[in-house]
Amino acid sequence: MSVFANARVQLVLRLLLGAFFVYASLDKIANPAGFARIVYQWQVAGPVPSNLVAVTLPWVELVAGLLLIAGVWRREAALVVALMLVVFLGAAASVLARGIDVQNCGCVSVAKEAVESAWPPAWTRGVGWFLVARNLLMLAGALAIAFVAPLPLGVASKQRALQEPRASESGPA
Amino acid sequence: MKPERACYLFSIDMLLDWKRFILILAASVSLAFAWNACSGRGIALGQSVLAQAGDELVKAPDAKALLDKGALFLDARPRDFWRMSRIPGSLPLPEEGFDKAYPEVEERLRRASTIVVYCSGYGCEASHIVARKLREKGFAAAILEEGLPAWQDAQLPLDTEPRP
Repeated sequence: MSVFANARVQLVLRLLLGAFFVYASLDKIANPAGFARIVYQWQVAGPVPSNLVAVTLPWVELVAGLLLIAGVWRREAALVVALMLVVFLGAAASVLARGIDVQNCGCVSVAKEAVESAWPPAWTRGVGWFLVARNLLMLAGALAIAFVAPLPLGVASKQRALQEPRASESGPA
Repeated sequence: MKPERACYLFSIDMLLDWKRFILILAASVSLAFAWNACSGRGIALGQSVLAQAGDELVKAPDAKALLDKGALFLDARPRDFWRMSRIPGSLPLPEEGFDKAYPEVEERLRRASTIVVYCSGYGCEASHIVARKLREKGFAAAILEEGLPAWQDAQLPLDTEPRP
């Protein structure tokens, strides 16, 4: 766990996770009808609950992502992100178990599948193992930010100085 | 400012502020509904996003009553699905290849008093699209809400005899 307690690691995790969630929210906020269609296609919720998810979810992603980037309330924002990822993983497991073919998961872009382009490749868009693996990785990062207290940089270097006095270049500890 | 504890262990209660957590969710949801109401891009929350102005939706039990009164049912799914199973008496009018299939059913449409279009439900938009195309041609067609899954959930009969 100590690698997650490194303040630099936490900063990088926070920025990556925050940027991804902000980016992922924008197209859905711009096109709620398109996203509602996709949520409905997951067949996890009926038409009206799907609408509610489609309208609210992107804003939770945006706000949590911005807070993560800014480093404001980062633990709580990371916990919000972690909970969303758990829900996404549960929904993906349900879709995979029932054999429903969702060509565009609506994770990032809500463009119709008719727009076939080489990039991003189709396997990054559907509900499949790539999505599960990516969400598990992000979940690990979010949990680290939420629950592992970063060792302040000063404390970390002091501790290192105590443990390995020769490696320290900042003079006598 | 709270004292930061230098700690390698998981410690949930000490570090998380649940009020902030709730506030993040509440603020996001408020922004979401404000955006939905005011941005001009919002959607009508109370009905399927597939439904548009002018679409007439009919629930499965009501559709069965229409069927018993001799309504014409049209299957908007790809024709192979219709071949495998269908609502009794329905004719195929797939969304893909509508123009090709339309002449086959046009005569029946003219004789029908009531028309109901269905597809495979959930995210399936085919029944809505076919009903709109029929509307353009001057036929009023209702759409079976939630499609075949709703029909089956209501324990209504299906014709599963394979067709060529």
